[in-house]
Amino acid sequence: MNYETVMGLEVHVELSTETKLFCACCAKFGAEANENICPACMGMPGMPAVINKKAVELGIAASLVTNSEITPCMTFDKKNYFYPDLPTGYQITQWFAPICKNGWIEIETSEGKRKITLKQIHIEEDAGKLVHDNRIGASLIDFNRTSVPLVEIVSNPDFRTAEEVVAYLEKLRLLLSFAGVSDCKMQEGSMRCDVNISVRKVGSTALGTRTEIKNMNSLKAIAAAITFESQRHINALETGSEVLVQETRRWDDNIGETFSMREKEAAADYRYFPDPEIMPIEIGDDWINDVRNSLPETSYDKYARLTQELGLSEYDSKIITGSKNLSDIFDGTMKYFDNPKEVVNWIIVELLSIAKGDNKGEDDVKIDCRKFAEIMELVDNKTINRNIAKKLLLLIWEDDIDPVLYVKENKLGMVSDTRLIEDTIQLVLKEQSNSVEQYKAGNDKLFNFLVGQVMKKLAGKADPKIVNSLLADAIKKDDM
Amino acid sequence: MSYFIEDYGVRGHNAVALEDSIMQKGKQVTANSKILEGFVSPFNAAVAERLINAQFTVAGKTSMNEFGIPSLLNGQTEVLGAVKVVSDGVVDYALCNDIFGQYRKQAAENSCCYIHPTYGTVSRFGIIPLASSMDRIGVVCKNISDGFNVLSKIAGNDFRDGAMYPEKTYKYEISDKRIRIGIPKAVTQKDELFDENVTKTLGECFQTVDMELENFDVYKQVVYILSCAEISNNISRYDGVKFGYRTPAYRGVNELYINTRSEGFGTDVKLTALMGAMVLSQENYVPYYEKAMKVRRLIKNSLRFDNYDVIALPCSIGNDPYENLSLYALSALAGLPSVTFKHNGHNIQLVGNVKREDLLLTAWEVCRHEL
Amino acid sequence: MDIDIYESMTKMSLSEPERSEISAQADRLVNSFAALESINTNDVDVLFTVLDIKNVFRDDAAIKEIPKETLLSNAPEQYDGYFQAPKTLE
Repeated sequence: MNYETVMGLEVHVELSTETKLFCACCAKFGAEANENICPACMGMPGMPAVINKKAVELGIAASLVTNSEITPCMTFDKKNYFYPDLPTGYQITQWFAPICKNGWIEIETSEGKRKITLKQIHIEEDAGKLVHDNRIGASLIDFNRTSVPLVEIVSNPDFRTAEEVVAYLEKLRLLLSFAGVSDCKMQEGSMRCDVNISVRKVGSTALGTRTEIKNMNSLKAIAAAITFESQRHINALETGSEVLVQETRRWDDNIGETFSMREKEAAADYRYFPDPEIMPIEIGDDWINDVRNSLPETSYDKYARLTQELGLSEYDSKIITGSKNLSDIFDGTMKYFDNPKEVVNWIIVELLSIAKGDNKGEDDVKIDCRKFAEIMELVDNKTINRNIAKKLLLLIWEDDIDPVLYVKENKLGMVSDTRLIEDTIQLVLKEQSNSVEQYKAGNDKLFNFLVGQVMKKLAGKADPKIVNSLLADAIKKDDM
Repeated sequence: MSYFIEDYGVRGHNAVALEDSIMQKGKQVTANSKILEGFVSPFNAAVAERLINAQFTVAGKTSMNEFGIPSLLNGQTEVLGAVKVVSDGVVDYALCNDIFGQYRKQAAENSCCYIHPTYGTVSRFGIIPLASSMDRIGVVCKNISDGFNVLSKIAGNDFRDGAMYPEKTYKYEISDKRIRIGIPKAVTQKDELFDENVTKTLGECFQTVDMELENFDVYKQVVYILSCAEISNNISRYDGVKFGYRTPAYRGVNELYINTRSEGFGTDVKLTALMGAMVLSQENYVPYYEKAMKVRRLIKNSLRFDNYDVIALPCSIGNDPYENLSLYALSALAGLPSVTFKHNGHNIQLVGNVKREDLLLTAWEVCRHEL
Repeated sequence: MDIDIYESMTKMSLSEPERSEISAQADRLVNSFAALESINTNDVDVLFTVLDIKNVFRDDAAIKEIPKETLLSNAPEQYDGYFQAPKTLE
């Protein structure tokens, strides 16, 4: 019997605002527990909700890049449930009139291109974080994330394979990160994905029993969870080994299986109703156009520009435009050093390998673009050679040194005095007379050895090209 | 009886008493509920802040119904603290939040006045919320003219409350307009004395206009359904985790919630919370909550303030608190300002159009001098 | 009215005397709500705020006014900068 898997996705994306959705607390990731809280986001009474305009604008941007129909007048609603990470006992979300509906995204897989349709996108506030502390046998609550703005992107059940799901998430990440909507980091939880999954016999149009899988924090985990869960469904149908129930299941990445979340089993009645404190928001054409006109370059436009206008290779361009962060580093460095090939080379070959050594990926690399460009400038104007430049980059990465100052203070500038180089060559020719003889007798390899000896005496601070040509001249003269 | 839950000992013409739902920095605030026992506010309510900036001082915190919810069963037996401090002459003014009319009714009955301002003109920042679409701070006073002076100090847009009109300040001045008073006959007839005497005497000083309050028969249902839902939602934050009362006995989080809330709330609050959950629940949302929101629009749209300036209503129609809710529902549902006061032995409620407190003040002045 | 369902939604448990008092009130209220049925609300939009105002926003600028310690000081139980509650996972 052949089965097909039917999936719909709910993707939560944290918006890149400075502050929270309904209060002026800092919304950035990584602060100490409860450092970014105030009476409003810790649930105290007497704090009316006033919405952050930037969050609405980023919501409009998300609607635009997903080809969605924006709701002319949207409203906010309250969703009621009790949980320790929800300090007010309700979440402010959009139930009746979300920011947009009926969008679509084109994805590309090994099967070709296809459109995934979206049901809606709504803006809502995030919940806090619970830490289960076994030492004291309690749950510890951190409200830093409470009320951080999110958009939830709800797809229709259009997905059939894990490959499609992964392609869709990759595409969403590129669209949203390049539009400045979110940094979309799965590891930090700024992009989270729940998968609604069911299986049915090929040819059937009815949907099977659906489960929702949560708690995957990488694309790999999502693909694995889908494979596991669809197989579990198929086994249940084939063998009758278990009865499928509609439920929420948690993915355990260590064990590689999904587990029923009993705590969420009771069918919840969320008692949604319109929030009387938040006035309706009209999104007119002028506002939409303003947001559209201020959208940054998309990943695809940038790829076209890099390959066509700047003459970069498809391979390099793909790496740079596959990450909003790398792409920002590229643009930032180009402002100071206008040589695209050189900049891309430094990013891909040098910067990424240093980052990799520190377990950092494309999205986490951070570099001061001005200093990065200064290194390239120092090489370009022959103040230093490439080897010293690489060492400088590492020093910037580790200690944030100022490269120009550092070169001056440590006298790393290249020896440009030809006389000094020639004298050093004469010294080496004398010391290494055996090698010189063997070279002259036809052992060509020894030329590089001699260059190396000269460089060593000059502490690496000479242009190897110049040393090469002066050495060749000297040996020739020596011959005559 | 004691007027205050907490008495700061301040008296004099600039002393104002605050209901225990108005937060003051560093002071305990409980809305007379065990569930908020020990809760110390880390900030000042906007109205407290503005009073202090206008050189008023806080006399103390007055007692109230738990969260401001009057009992439907027993009615209001005791005089509420905010009314009593003013009627006994302890202070000249008290501020409180009055959705259901208990303060408006009692103020008139106890020879005081009450000013219930237009919704969205006084900041709700720092007020323990009851029903957010209706909450507003009003003034108990001896004299409506003086009461408006206090109101002018606290009213005006506050960026921390998003449900407000944009005006930064309001002036409440006597108008030279000839005021037309709308008399909803079908309602005033429910109080025979009011109907016979008050409508007649009002007719001597004002032009009176016969009018109808459409759907008056369901005012109380609409205000009850909408307010219980909003209250039920607003009090879900009290769970024994972040502040206030926590039950001493629990195993697990669910029991912590249930025991804390069962021990922390009184019966009237529990009834309200349960009714709120009911009207919002999946099967009842459309017939009750959504329906009530639609009827609210019908009620708001049915008013014809081009035909009259002020609507006169009695302050009670019998002893059933639920029936009496109908009389105070109009300002709650349409956001309208009102004043209540006693005149010639009758308790009068005047309801005006949005931001036309000036006409209420003017009507009161006319009554005072001519009736 | 089936009070049990709403007790569990609102995280409350009524004592027997409370239950009978509240049930009586609740039934009376629910009976009174029947009067709404006869009102024609076809083509009427809901009204959830009386204000005819739209687009009220706050600027995206961070402000920190009250220190963490003050905000935690009301908590019945706290630990190491966290609010503390019983374990949620059994």
